[in-house]
Amino acid sequence: MEIIQKRMRKANIWPYLLVLPALLVVIAVVFVPILNAISMSLQQYDLRRPKQIAFIGLQNYLQLFSDKQFIASLYRTVLWVVFGVGFQFVFGFALALLLNQGFRGRGLVRSVSLIPWVTPGVLIALMWRWLLDGNYGVINDLLQRIGWIESNIAFLANRTTALPSVILTIVWQGIPFFALMLLAGLQGISHDLYEAADIDGAHSLQKLRFITIPSLKNTIFVTTMLRVIWVANSVDVIFNMTEGGPAYATQTLSVYIYLKANTLNMGYASAMAIVLTILLLAFSIPYLRSMFRDQGV
Amino acid sequence: MKKLLSTLIALIMMLSVASFAYAEDVTINYWFWADNDAYAETMQEMIADFNATNGQGITVVGEQVPWDGGGYSNTVFTAAMGGGGPDVASWKLTATPSFVANDLLEPLDAFLQDWDGYSEIESSLWDVMREVGDGEHVYVMPWNTQVLYVYYRPSMFADAGLSVPTTYQEFLDACAALTKDGVYGFGMRGARGGQEPWGSFIYARGGTFADLTTPEAVQGMQDFIDLFQKGYTPPTAPSDGFSQIIDNFKSGLTAMTVHHIGSSAGMVETFGDDVAAFVFPAGEGQWTSMGDTENVMFASSANKEAAFQWLAYLATGKGQETWCKVTGNVPVSSSVKALDEFQSNPFMKVSIEGAPYAGILPVLDTTTEWISSIWPSTVQQALLGEITAQECMDILQAELYQ
Repeated sequence: MEIIQKRMRKANIWPYLLVLPALLVVIAVVFVPILNAISMSLQQYDLRRPKQIAFIGLQNYLQLFSDKQFIASLYRTVLWVVFGVGFQFVFGFALALLLNQGFRGRGLVRSVSLIPWVTPGVLIALMWRWLLDGNYGVINDLLQRIGWIESNIAFLANRTTALPSVILTIVWQGIPFFALMLLAGLQGISHDLYEAADIDGAHSLQKLRFITIPSLKNTIFVTTMLRVIWVANSVDVIFNMTEGGPAYATQTLSVYIYLKANTLNMGYASAMAIVLTILLLAFSIPYLRSMFRDQGV
Repeated sequence: MKKLLSTLIALIMMLSVASFAYAEDVTINYWFWADNDAYAETMQEMIADFNATNGQGITVVGEQVPWDGGGYSNTVFTAAMGGGGPDVASWKLTATPSFVANDLLEPLDAFLQDWDGYSEIESSLWDVMREVGDGEHVYVMPWNTQVLYVYYRPSMFADAGLSVPTTYQEFLDACAALTKDGVYGFGMRGARGGQEPWGSFIYARGGTFADLTTPEAVQGMQDFIDLFQKGYTPPTAPSDGFSQIIDNFKSGLTAMTVHHIGSSAGMVETFGDDVAAFVFPAGEGQWTSMGDTENVMFASSANKEAAFQWLAYLATGKGQETWCKVTGNVPVSSSVKALDEFQSNPFMKVSIEGAPYAGILPVLDTTTEWISSIWPSTVQQALLGEITAQECMDILQAELYQ
């Protein structure tokens, strides 16, 4: 026993043994399905025609380039992520700064501001669908009362307003996540820095630029990356609000993948999913590398 | 020794009795969808009735699965492919090809041969069931149908000085005439599921589903577009689904809409006598959608005889009568159809009037995708003026018959 322990110490395999159970689970629930998806993406894997399932190499991937819906969905995904995550960050940051101030009822406001984040996406979608309803929606009613519009706008049935409407919904949902993470970061900043800045005569904007934002850099990087990945992969909000319509106006890549998989064309859906994964990795890896490089890790 | 032998024999007898009872007491898992809580409750009552009265030790366990705008079929497919499907499930014909192609359904022919209830169901319906499978076997047990018709508000017709349309042109004219004072003539369904009322427009101009690109079919599509673009439907029509068209009609926003008898109880509750129905009128041709609901048995079921008993109870037994009485759906059993309650219901009368013109979309392996995403996306493009009626029909034809 002593010899074994000695050898284990020598080989230093304890860390590996401790990681092993988690690694096995990750392999089983992440890597195996990914390998399965890669395999399906190289086949004509349409369960409506199971007798025709066959290896077709890169044909599914080549077909993507001539698929107008794929290109359009990719473009909409960029808009969905840039505006969705962008506004979530801006408003989330503003909310975090506000919640970091001392005021009466701050605890209550902090708790209430979390509601959109803890509400299920399907419920949020249904709620906003009613708020934006073109016949009975509260938003139409309010806009008419303040005289901004004369007649109802069919927000979700109109090509120009449908995508901004679903983006508005995802922004509303994601603001608390940024606010919460950034608030935690804000509370970790030493007050000495602000006091020193006050002595030097720095005004609020300078303190924000030279103390707050640099101190929150890592939090901002990580939260933004997480949200980009989640929002890019999100299906629930769009599907329950518009099902990707009207006329494909809100069909992002993840919605398109879902629809194709739902109609049993697993090969083509897998090819699209692999491409989306590669695109997200292409964004995340340089992003993380630059973050850790700055830290000297 | 004698004592030991008799004890052994007694033990063997007890064991065989126990094993016989075990073999008889079988559980059948049944998946179904219900349009509302009352229907779900009714189904559980029917299950309890069957369990109490079948006398063969069969226990049906009913599990409600959300309809999810047709996503039900995919839920069942995923479960069956993964080996976790039920013994019996309620059904839509359009889902059949992909299940048959993957050998998931049990052919019912052997059970039907000796079944007394076979002749209770019209032979034409059996032909449809055979056709949607592989052309040889019956995989689907008829249950009930819903014939789509037009709901209208008699008071609005009276105010506009209109009588019930008897021709397609009169119907189009009524859509225009009823659009006034914040009311829209027609509650159009442009989202998923809208292909059913849409089909009536195509046939009314003389088109058919066999070729959607004929001038007649394209004209039907143009009529559909015109209703929206001329403002005879709510501006939300491209994204309106089932709940929106019903809500719009019930709130008085629309004067007419197309749905089946399943909505009649709610309509009467809202309007009393001020709601009625007529068959979608004939033009060059006439067609309305037959919303079908059936049941199937899965090949993986370990208790097929017992599963068939439950299928039979639903198709012609007490289950048929109870379900159709509560839901208002059209029975498939001739003896149930003949009951007074069905003959005296005015909405049932319109359903039966429309039955000769009722049909379904071609059931192909492309139909599910066509219904769930191709039709709504393409027709929405046409409604919003991004493509012409001809371009729309070219796409729909190519995608359905690819």
